[in-house]
Amino acid sequence: MALDYKKELEGAAKTMILVHEADLLIKMIVRTIVQKVKVSHAGILLHYGDKDSYVLTVSRGPKGIKIPEGFARMDSDNPLIRFFNEHLDKKLFNDGALSYKQAKRCLRKNIGAKEKSLLKGALYQLEIFDAILCVPSYFQNKLLGLLLLGKKNSGKDFKPDEIDFFAALASDVAMAIRNAELFKDLQLELEKKHRLFLHTTIALAAAIDAKDHYTHGHTSRVTTLSLEIAKRLAAEKKEGFDEKFLEHLHIAGLLHDIGKIGIPESILNKNGPLDDKEAARIKEHPIIGATILNPIKELEDAILGVKYHHEKFDGSGYPEGLKGRNIPLIASIISVADTFDAMTTDRPYRRGLSKDEAMAEINRVSGKQLDPEIVSAFSDLYKEGLI
Amino acid sequence: MANLLIVDDEADVREFAANFFRKRKINVTTAPSGEESLNMLDKVKPDLILLDIKMDGIDGIETLKRLKEKNKDLKVIMVTGRKPDDQESFEKCRQFGALDYIHKPLELEELERIVLKNLK
Repeated sequence: MALDYKKELEGAAKTMILVHEADLLIKMIVRTIVQKVKVSHAGILLHYGDKDSYVLTVSRGPKGIKIPEGFARMDSDNPLIRFFNEHLDKKLFNDGALSYKQAKRCLRKNIGAKEKSLLKGALYQLEIFDAILCVPSYFQNKLLGLLLLGKKNSGKDFKPDEIDFFAALASDVAMAIRNAELFKDLQLELEKKHRLFLHTTIALAAAIDAKDHYTHGHTSRVTTLSLEIAKRLAAEKKEGFDEKFLEHLHIAGLLHDIGKIGIPESILNKNGPLDDKEAARIKEHPIIGATILNPIKELEDAILGVKYHHEKFDGSGYPEGLKGRNIPLIASIISVADTFDAMTTDRPYRRGLSKDEAMAEINRVSGKQLDPEIVSAFSDLYKEGLI
Repeated sequence: MANLLIVDDEADVREFAANFFRKRKINVTTAPSGEESLNMLDKVKPDLILLDIKMDGIDGIETLKRLKEKNKDLKVIMVTGRKPDDQESFEKCRQFGALDYIHKPLELEELERIVLKNLK
């Protein structure tokens, strides 16, 4: 049965949309050609910009040669590459491909000496690769790759509709490679932006630490502890938090005390216990923090962590007196990490507790001030010496 | 007919290179390791050896050294892996008397030219 090339092309196009990895895609296409068109072998040479050469990336063939990946290359002065780069295929054959038979006939004709010599060189390259057809693939006039095809298993010549099929595939391949490159660039760009954002957050967090002398390093410790707790919770529940949750937790950890920017340093760094008025000012920091971050809509979940990290499990916390599981999980996690770190840190008016003492205190207030499930995960981490 | 010995631990490379040169009327023997190439040396009596550098067991450079100890007149062309420009191994190959040093990926016409030239 004759192959429905239109249908095959559509199938290939669908695959290309789904597969973003150019290497994988090319392998699939070469395999498709070998199987569907039944040729002895097929291979693709791809352009590598940094070396300005074309490297044989895939080569498949059940009967014919299989050239090992990365074994063969063609430099830009290789006659076959020059043949297409100088558009001899169009000049000589009015065609976007080089067929061995057609080219042999052409050599007997009266063509220019220069063209003849280049065509001879190109044909020799086909012989080296045991190919009888070579189809170029361009993107915006730049030769991105070459598709090399061995003999058909039937021994017959390639028909024009088959050559058209290869040409369409080859140009799709070029497009797919280009897309994959763009996709990769875009991902790199996104990663760059993301790093920029994270570093900005870290810089902001450093601003709080700088203001509150006695809690130096507090934000980074709380962030690390919070992430550890989340990972443990996920492992115990055997259901992972999605990456977005962990990222928001990371940001909320870094920024949980950002609201302290709005509290006078005289209160933050006071060398002695706070009076009621001062204590009330300090208690404003979660709301101030949430207000500062509120315009950043993308941080909605992280803001919950900032706003509610002083809520308590029994409802005795602030700012809203939320109770139990009404407190967002992100805030309850930070709360445990924050409490532990605050207890083990020296304050202007008291020395910090030892880790053992702090852990005992955390266990004591579990289910009262702190969410017992989170305390349990934290306690496990502690027992394993991971805190 | 000239005798060419191809030493490479990748089966695909051995098979392709062997076919490639057999078509060019060269008698080809292959060895999957440095050790085996040393063992078959007396029997094969190669006019030229294509020797891969990066191999399991004794690597190409050590194999080159031992081959040359057995017969200092052996003609050996070193084939390097995919990361060229390793000056140190290049120097060693020269020191141990390799004729040439080529890297993958190869221009096949160039490979052919180098092999034919050295088989003459």
